[in-house]
Amino acid sequence: MSNLKITNLTKRFSEVLAVDNLNLEVADGEFVTLLGPSGCGKTTILRTIAGFCNPDRGEIFFGDKIMNNIPPNKRNTAMCFQSYALFPHMSVWDNISFGLKMQKISRQGQKKKISQVMEMLGLEGLEKRKPGQLSGGQQQRVALARAIVTEPKILLFDEPLSNLDAKLRVQVRIEIRDMQKRLGITTIYVTHDQDEALAISDRIVVMERGHIEQLGDPYNIYRNPETSFVAGFIGLANIYEGTVVARDGSRYTVEAPFGKVVIVSDGRKIPEASKTVKFVWRPEDMKIYIQGAPNRVKGKILQAVFMGNITDIFIDVQGNKMRAQIDESRKLIAGDVIEFSIPEDAFSILRG
Amino acid sequence: MALTDSTAETSLYLIQARKKRNFYLLLMIFFMIVLILWVGIPILMAVMWSLVDPKNPWSYPNLFPPSFSLAQWKYVFDYTNIGRALRNSYSIAPLAVLLSFVLSLPTSYVLGRKKIPGKKFFMLVVLLPIIMPGMVVALFLSRVFTAFGLSQTFFGLVLAHTLMSMPYMIRVMTTSFQAIPQDVIDAAENLGANTFVKIRDIFLPMIRPGLLAGMIFAFTVSIEEFNLTFIIGTPTFETIPTILFSFMGYNFIRTNASVVALLMMTPNIIMLFIVERFLKSDYLAASLGKM
Amino acid sequence: MKEKKISPIDLLMLFPGVGFILLFIGSSIFLTLVQSFGLFSITGKSVFTLENWKAILQARESMDSLFFSLKMGLLSSVGTVVVAFPIALFFRKGGTGKGILGSIIKMPLFIPALVAAFLILNLISYSGLVNTVLMRLNLINEPLRMLNDKFGWGVVFIQIWKNLPFVLLIVMAALASIRDDTIDAAKNLGAGYWSILFRIFVPLAMPGILVSMILMFIKAFGDFPIVSVAGPIYPASMAARMHIMATIYQEWDQAAVLGVIIIVTAFIVIWAYSRFAELAKGEV
Ligand SMILES: Nc1ncnc2c1ncn2[C@@H]1O[C@H](COP(=O)(O)OP(=O)(O)OP(=O)(O)O)[C@@H](O)[C@H]1O
Ligand SMILES: [Mg+2]
Repeated sequence: MSNLKITNLTKRFSEVLAVDNLNLEVADGEFVTLLGPSGCGKTTILRTIAGFCNPDRGEIFFGDKIMNNIPPNKRNTAMCFQSYALFPHMSVWDNISFGLKMQKISRQGQKKKISQVMEMLGLEGLEKRKPGQLSGGQQQRVALARAIVTEPKILLFDEPLSNLDAKLRVQVRIEIRDMQKRLGITTIYVTHDQDEALAISDRIVVMERGHIEQLGDPYNIYRNPETSFVAGFIGLANIYEGTVVARDGSRYTVEAPFGKVVIVSDGRKIPEASKTVKFVWRPEDMKIYIQGAPNRVKGKILQAVFMGNITDIFIDVQGNKMRAQIDESRKLIAGDVIEFSIPEDAFSILRG
Repeated sequence: MALTDSTAETSLYLIQARKKRNFYLLLMIFFMIVLILWVGIPILMAVMWSLVDPKNPWSYPNLFPPSFSLAQWKYVFDYTNIGRALRNSYSIAPLAVLLSFVLSLPTSYVLGRKKIPGKKFFMLVVLLPIIMPGMVVALFLSRVFTAFGLSQTFFGLVLAHTLMSMPYMIRVMTTSFQAIPQDVIDAAENLGANTFVKIRDIFLPMIRPGLLAGMIFAFTVSIEEFNLTFIIGTPTFETIPTILFSFMGYNFIRTNASVVALLMMTPNIIMLFIVERFLKSDYLAASLGKM
Repeated sequence: MKEKKISPIDLLMLFPGVGFILLFIGSSIFLTLVQSFGLFSITGKSVFTLENWKAILQARESMDSLFFSLKMGLLSSVGTVVVAFPIALFFRKGGTGKGILGSIIKMPLFIPALVAAFLILNLISYSGLVNTVLMRLNLINEPLRMLNDKFGWGVVFIQIWKNLPFVLLIVMAALASIRDDTIDAAKNLGAGYWSILFRIFVPLAMPGILVSMILMFIKAFGDFPIVSVAGPIYPASMAARMHIMATIYQEWDQAAVLGVIIIVTAFIVIWAYSRFAELAKGEV
């Protein structure tokens, strides 16, 4: 149990800058998720923390102890590998017990812990099998079990649930979160699944090409994205550019291609008049217009997809496309003209 | 009406399918017979020749020997050096395999797991004993051996056989080392394994199949090594190949040669069937498939 | 880059294997080379001379031997691949009985070369099985000369028989890595039997085929025992000639010249292979 600090971390693989001057501090017992497109350096960061990969520059601290020169087997981290990395010549049981053996835990103690973890992950009965005789999802759960059974100082998960079915994935992620909270293990988690990231994390790190785009709790990341990359990467987004034409305290009016909108600032730096700004709002923020509602937009439905609880609509507002998701019970069809309003506080101003 | 039509069509289709299947079956059987004859007949002939009764020689136009006897086997063991040759062959081979393993292990580890400059060059160098024509090496190495007093010695022969078996050993073990994903090693280290544990619990068990395959190839190479043994060992040390060669010279004694040939290949064939499963993964192909 | 340097420990670990081989093979290559120019001669003299090269290059026997050995190398390597390829295709798909059949076909790999030579010799000798059967069937009137024949077919046949499994293993591994989807996809795109063969199987197996042809060529080119027992009386193979030169005539320096020619040929073939392999890679 320890807080983790990464300073100025840089790692280059010949052509590729895998991690670019990255700084990150993770509190004791915190659960932080790395989220970002494929190849943005997530695995490289985990490998550096675990000590498999020497950074070109930068330090790794556990607590106030610098770890750069500590070999991986002395770091007391446990990593769940993207590729599982199971020992193919060992049974499931031997795979899971490997770390406990290294910690010189008694046979009795091993047995208790392993049975517990195997039950938690639904692996009972597979003890004697070799990894080659397991399904992809079972292998992944063995990899997970092998990592968490050691109860390390820092847990590193590299897409640990990617190969499980939707139901199992939700179930296991709840188990992971419970256990992590119970034991208070500092955890870095990598996933491609946004719902998972939002549901499980204390904080989320959104990355692109080796650097951090935005760091924040799930609510902030989703509600107040700072860049169009973050806005577009997590959830759906309508992104537009406009000129500030009037200002009144924290409310200001922006002239956008589809008309004027009034935006209430969320407390961050307010743009000056006659500046160009980029702003975003979520499709589910668009409401069917009722008398007196702000930011009225009128458009023609290009496409409406009924999805059960919501209807996903693409509309054309004076040649500008936008997307809305509404829980309208009425059946909507392409060609209908429809009026929306957007709440003034639904907008976020973007940095770039 | 439509119903009968379609039934007729279906049955036509079925007949065609059956014809096709029968054709494939015939082709398969033909192929199998050819393959079995290809390997079987030569061996069968050797067996028959080794059992010819000296009092009742086998000659044209008999397809089979007129009578069988074990006289040839007795003769070979009584009047030739075959016993000693067998002893030599089967004591040199294990020693050569062992020595070659000991020498190859660190080299294969570095070639398989480390990023080093000139790896391609080293991989080619270790192939030299098989790509250098044997007789050239034998003749001129014999001068080196003579200079060091290794010629006509048992130890010299072990060294020579080690040399010839090392390409297989190194290549196959290098491939096995390479085949271990780095993640697996990392995982062990991550869970607290030190170097010793890594070697004992991860590396050795994971390269074991390759190691066995390498040892088998090395063993067969040693058993059949001719050139170096012929130049460096004879006449002091005869092994089975050199003794067979002497039987096959211009005064060709076929019956004796048959016995020696069978003696020479039977252990190898038995070994083949025992180790078949290690050959399945085609270590040879993986390790020699590129230069 | 840090990884690009070779650490002393790595070098130390490389030494037992690489050093052992370099020491012995290197010293024999070195001796062959210098001795062909009269240096470090076995007679004790060490004078630079081109006489040995002259003597060898002017002798008709040398050229005959070189030509014969080249012929053996080429025919054996091409022959083995031509025989092995269809068998490898046959084994690509598993099937009943193929397991045991696979073991049987691999047997010659474990049969020492000389034994293989002897086994085949029994079949094709003057009074061997083939002649006996052919004569009893009245297909021929007198036995065919297949053993010690002038051309060397006997040798080629023995080489093919002995080395077939080796080439098979390599080609089979190459074919096994071709996934069925690939073939289905090709069929789906309209490829017929022959296009699948020549556009998928052959190109994908090509690296393996090339390597096995090289190794086979060098084996057959530098062969001594098989040619000695099954080859023609004249010409001798290069290796056999070199052996006679050294041990019967005691002309070690001239034997060294033959040795250099054999080594150089082997290296030329390997060089040509690497060029060809690069070329083939470049195309893909
Ligand atoms: N050993 C290596 N050699 C060269 N380049 C590498 C190496 N490891 C990673 N890279 C490169 O570094 C970048 C970051 O890789 P990394 O594995 O960290 O990505 P990732 O975020 O984990 O991606 P994914 O989500 O696909 O797993 C990639 O462009 C990758 O190609
Ligand atoms: Mg990754």
